[in-house]
Amino acid sequence: MSDVRQPLLKVRDLEVTFHAHGHAVSAVAGVSFDIFEGETLGLVGESGCGKSTTGKALMRIVEPSSGTIELDGTNVATLSGKVLRAARTKMQMIFQDPISSLNPRRRVKDIVAEPLDCWNKVQGDERATIVHDLLSKVGIDPVVYGDRYARQFSGGQCQRISIARSLAMRPKLLICDEMVSALDVSVQAQILNLLEDLKAEYGLTLLFIAHDLAVVKNVSDRVAVMYLGKICEIGPADTLYESPAHPYTEFLLGAALEADPDSPMHSQTLEGEPPSPMNPPSGCRFRTRCPKATQKCADEEPLPQEVAPNHLVSCHYPLTITHKTPTPTAVDG
Amino acid sequence: MSDEKLLVVTDLKTTFDTANGPLPAVGGVSFDLERNETLGIVGESGSGKTVLSRTIMGLQPRTKVSVTGSSVIDGFEVVGASENDKRKIWGTEVAMIFQDPMTSLNPVMRIGKQIDEALRVRLGMDKAAAKARAIELLELVGIPSPQERYNAYPGMLSGGMRQRVVIAIALACSPKLLMADEPTTGLDVTIQAQILNLLDELKDRLKMSVILVTHDLGVVATRTSRIIVMYAGRIVETGNTRDVFYHHRMPYTKALLESSPKVSNHSHTRLVTIPGRPPNLLSLPDGCAFAPRCSYATDQCHLVRPELEPSTEPGHTFACWNPLPINVEGALA
Repeated sequence: MSDVRQPLLKVRDLEVTFHAHGHAVSAVAGVSFDIFEGETLGLVGESGCGKSTTGKALMRIVEPSSGTIELDGTNVATLSGKVLRAARTKMQMIFQDPISSLNPRRRVKDIVAEPLDCWNKVQGDERATIVHDLLSKVGIDPVVYGDRYARQFSGGQCQRISIARSLAMRPKLLICDEMVSALDVSVQAQILNLLEDLKAEYGLTLLFIAHDLAVVKNVSDRVAVMYLGKICEIGPADTLYESPAHPYTEFLLGAALEADPDSPMHSQTLEGEPPSPMNPPSGCRFRTRCPKATQKCADEEPLPQEVAPNHLVSCHYPLTITHKTPTPTAVDG
Repeated sequence: MSDEKLLVVTDLKTTFDTANGPLPAVGGVSFDLERNETLGIVGESGSGKTVLSRTIMGLQPRTKVSVTGSSVIDGFEVVGASENDKRKIWGTEVAMIFQDPMTSLNPVMRIGKQIDEALRVRLGMDKAAAKARAIELLELVGIPSPQERYNAYPGMLSGGMRQRVVIAIALACSPKLLMADEPTTGLDVTIQAQILNLLDELKDRLKMSVILVTHDLGVVATRTSRIIVMYAGRIVETGNTRDVFYHHRMPYTKALLESSPKVSNHSHTRLVTIPGRPPNLLSLPDGCAFAPRCSYATDQCHLVRPELEPSTEPGHTFACWNPLPINVEGALA
C-alpha cells in the first residue's frame, strides 16, 4: 500500500544549525518527510528535540542550513525577497501562547485583517465581509467583539482569533505549534474540534506539533516522533501508537498518563535526560538511553526502514509490529 | 503516631478583597486526609485549587484577604495563627512543592545552600551537619553525583533536576504532609513519569501524606486513593479515585473526563466539549455554579445551590440536583 498521491509538502534532509558561544548546535539534523494534501501529520517529541525549530524552518522564520522544502512544487528553502513572501502566503503558523501572539493594543478585526492589508488585497466592504466571516467561523461574534482589543480576551478566545488570522490568506498548509498546550482541557477540546471542522471546510493540510501524545493522536492521520533533531519513527497514528517499532516511541507512550485508573502502569520508565545537541552521540542518537543498544548502534547511524506499510523506523533493532486491529488507510479524504 | 487524621479542613473560605468587590476564590471547603494517603485535587484554572492548597497551610497575603473556617494540620489550627506560629509548622509538619521549578529556586544561590538554609534555620544544624544532610537529600531525590551538584547553580540544571532540588528542599525537615501544586506541569512526559514515581516512592519511604494539586486527570488517575473535583471554588464531587472516574454522579466530572483526549482513542475521535466558560467568581449565580453550562440543569439548579450529598459508595459525595444515574460507566464511553 504505497501512496500514489502527490505530497503537498516534501521535506528532504532539512538541517538547522544554531551557533552559540562558539559551538554549533544542530537542532534539526537531517529530517525528511512528506505531508499529503488534506492530511494531518503530528510531530511529537520532548522539549529540545527540534520539533518547533522544524516548524519554524518550514516557514523560514529560522533559516535552514541545508535541505529542501518543497511546497506545492516550489522549493521554499532557496527563495528570497518578494518570491519568498508570495510563497509564504500558502502556509501559515499558529503559535503556542495565544495571548502573546496577538498585539494587545489592536482591535480584533484589524488583527484578523492584517494579512489582507499586508498584501493590499481587499478594501472597504469586502475586507469587512471577509473579517466578519472569519470571526464567525471561529466562534467569535464579529458584531459584539470585532471592535474589542485583544487584551480583553481569554486564552481560548485568543487562540480562536489566531486561527481566524491564519485563515485570512486561505493557506494550504497550517503549521500548529503547541497550539492547545496552554489551554484548560474543556477549552482545549473546543479548539481541537474547531480545528477539525475548519480543516474539512477549508481543505487544509496540517502539521500539528505538540508534546501531548493524546492530543496528537486525536488530530493526526500520521505521526512522526522526533528525538534530538532526528525523526526516529513515522507512521499511521493508530498503528504507531498500538505497536511502536522504535524503543524511544515505546518509552514515550509508556510514560504518557491516561486519565483512567485501570490503565496499565508501566514499570519501565526512561532513565536520565536527553544528551546535549551540542555534542550528540555517534550513530543512533538514542543509544545512550536505549536498553537494546549495541556496538553497532554507536558505529552506524540507522537509516529509515519500512517495517509496515507507510511505517518507517530508524533503528537497528526495531520492535516487532503486532497489528491487533486492521490497518486503517494512512491518508483519508 | 496517633490515629487522628493528619489534616481536617472545615468550611474553609478564602475571599480576596479586589477593586471590583469580594472574590470568593475558595467558597467553603471541608475534607480530611488520613496519614500516608495521597489525595488529588483537580480542577481547571480558576477553580480555586491552588488558593485552597495555599490556604490549608496558611500561605496567603497579609492584607486584602479574609480566611474563615478551619484547617487543622496534626492538631495545629492554621486559620488565625500568627506568622510566627505558622513558621513552626512550615517545613516540619507541612511543605509545599510549587509549580514552576524554573522560578521557585534562587538563581544566584548554589542549590546546596538553598537546602542548607532550611536545615540550619529550622532544625538548628551546624554548617557541616547541614551540608552532609543536604547531600543525603540530593541523593534521596535521585540527583546523580550529589557531592558536585551541591555547588551547582539552578541554571546549570535541567527542569526535571531542578524539580528534584525543590522536592529535596521540601523534604529537608521531614514534613508529614507534602503539598505538590502542579509538580510536573511544564515537564516532559518521560521526566514527569520519573518525578511522579519519585513522589510515590518517597511517600511510602518517609510515611508522608501527599496532596497532588493538578489540572491533569492523567496525573491523579493512577497515583491517588481519593480525588476532590473543584469548580468555582467549591468541591463538586469527591470520593475514591475509582468511584470518581467510573461512577461519577456530577455532570461536570463527566464532562471534564470526556473532554480530555486519550491515547487509547482512535485518531480523529470527536471530543465532547463543555459549552461556555467557567463563571466569573465576582458574580457567582445563586444556584449551582455549573448550571449555565450544564445540559441537565433545571430551574432548581439556577435558584438553589446543591450541597454535597452521599452517593452509594462510602466516602463518595457529590453536589448536584440532577445527578447522573448510579453505575454510569461514563469515564471510558
